[in-house]
Amino acid sequence: MNNLKKTKNSIRWVIALKEEAQVILDYYKLKPINEKTIYPIYKNEEETHWLIICGIGRNNAAASTAYLYAYSNASNYTSWINIGIAGSGKGNYGDLYLVDKISTYQRKKSTFPSTLPKANLPKMHLFTSDIPISDYSTCELIDMEGSAFFDIASKLTSKEFICLMKVISDGPENDIKEITRSKISNLIKENLLKIIDVISYYERLSEEEFKIIDKPKLFNEIKSKWHFSATQSYRLETLLRRIEIFCNKKDIEKAIKNCETSNSVINVLNTKIKNNLVNWSKF
Amino acid sequence: MIETIYVEDAIQNHPKTKFILNKFKKSRIISINKYGEIFNKRNQNFRIQKANPCLILAHKKDNFVLPAPEGFGIGSSKNFYFSHMYNCIYDCRYCFLQGMYSSANYVIFVNFEDFDISIKKIIENNVDSKVTFFSGYDCDSLALENVTGFAKHILSIFRKYPQIEIEFRTKSLQKEPFLSAKPMRNVILAYSLMPELMSNSLDNKAPSISKRISVISELALKGWKIGLRFDPLIHGENWKELYKELLENIYNNIFLDNLHSVSFGSLRFPKRMFKDIFKLYPHEPLFTSPLSLNNKMISYDIDIEEEMTSFCKNLSLKYINEDQIFKCSI
Ligand code: SF4
Repeated sequence: MNNLKKTKNSIRWVIALKEEAQVILDYYKLKPINEKTIYPIYKNEEETHWLIICGIGRNNAAASTAYLYAYSNASNYTSWINIGIAGSGKGNYGDLYLVDKISTYQRKKSTFPSTLPKANLPKMHLFTSDIPISDYSTCELIDMEGSAFFDIASKLTSKEFICLMKVISDGPENDIKEITRSKISNLIKENLLKIIDVISYYERLSEEEFKIIDKPKLFNEIKSKWHFSATQSYRLETLLRRIEIFCNKKDIEKAIKNCETSNSVINVLNTKIKNNLVNWSKF
Repeated sequence: MIETIYVEDAIQNHPKTKFILNKFKKSRIISINKYGEIFNKRNQNFRIQKANPCLILAHKKDNFVLPAPEGFGIGSSKNFYFSHMYNCIYDCRYCFLQGMYSSANYVIFVNFEDFDISIKKIIENNVDSKVTFFSGYDCDSLALENVTGFAKHILSIFRKYPQIEIEFRTKSLQKEPFLSAKPMRNVILAYSLMPELMSNSLDNKAPSISKRISVISELALKGWKIGLRFDPLIHGENWKELYKELLENIYNNIFLDNLHSVSFGSLRFPKRMFKDIFKLYPHEPLFTSPLSLNNKMISYDIDIEEEMTSFCKNLSLKYINEDQIFKCSI
């Protein structure tokens, strides 16, 4: 559990039912992990995608999201995805929707997930209920996990990295009692291409964020040669990020080669910045 | 294209809300209780939001007009500012808004009438002072004029007080509502400028310097008072040639009789703000500049600042009077 790699793109799925997850498990080649866990967990070989089957209800959604975060060593650039079926009084059976507003009975205030830009998918307001609802008249989408998933995920990362997608499975004309396991799998399967498209955005997003927060190339190498305190390490990291833009690795190595202490490394790098005359025509 | 517009419940029926929504017929409208539910919450990523900001229509409750920070002025004894909007459609890398708000979404306050009341009250309370108001401290004052109509609205107030100055600071090419109105001597249209080469790299999404200059020239010719704001001054290779070229180009292309003032400002970030902006954009060329901690601010060293300011000032003095030149020192 602690020897997990830091991967460039990082996706975590929280899904209520195995039937909803099956198509995702197959497509992304996710296999059950070889350990006994509180909730079933799957991952791909590269450990970029992890998926947890949370079961029904808000408590399960909240607990499993937090559990997956800790278990999979998710980073703050991890994208969190919740997908599942939902009831609806407005949309068409089988259609996929993005969620951009969530309400519950329990809380007066709504929450507002971001949605990916320029998506061709329609968006709806989700109502998360603790009990199945058969009166669809007042709600756009109804589920039993979304709000709890969002509440926890938004504590783990920025809301731009969280996505909720719902496929309409029941409504005034499609009785909830007629939902079967195979119908659930099919509903997700029929939307697979759209789902993949959405996920590719979140993969890119987490990869871009990784590039931004990843340590500068020379950081670990330099740290292994001199002893840096925590404050000095932060200064080193900042200076290297700035210098790497206009100075190549070799030149940096040459400049600090004869430094005897970490302080002199920082001073040399500082002087490099102080003397830099930015060539604006290059940018 | 604004994909999503959040609208506070309380102002759903406000005429300005309807006016604005009418311009975005394809956007998804989401009702909210208070704009704070969306704006400036923790766990938002300014940089990602900036790629596709949403619009929030809100009701401002207080602090419509505030005293301007010390060092922000063009000669009046009392300076005030107001912002009908938070955030900006442009994305200048040195902009303090990126470090000030955690959300890049645009907030527009639709209750313009409350700004009017506050402005009038301040004018009445300061009859014996020379007063200047600055529009758009937390935004570009004109960039979204075609959506908000705020400048047009506020001009009508200042028409009644010709002794009170108002400055609109902008990088936009918005000529309305000025071209269609009679020029007002108490209105300053102030343009932020820097050499094109630097602007290309720093003033993301903003109009080019050459386009800004041609708008300035047109409005000056029409009789509007112009302010030139070289703020921040940017250092780099050939900075003297670049600023010389820019200043000469402007002074030779605008009707100098209508030049109200010129100001020079230094590139300065409070330490915390610099840290936040750097975290968002660590690979930006701006941060390869010789910036360091000076007096609790991240800035160029004082000798660089002074050399740049006096170079630009001396060059400007060939064209304008000393009393038209100001230093912006916030
Ligand atoms: S135009 Fe002004 S407010 Fe807008 S991004 Fe640039 S500096 Fe900031």
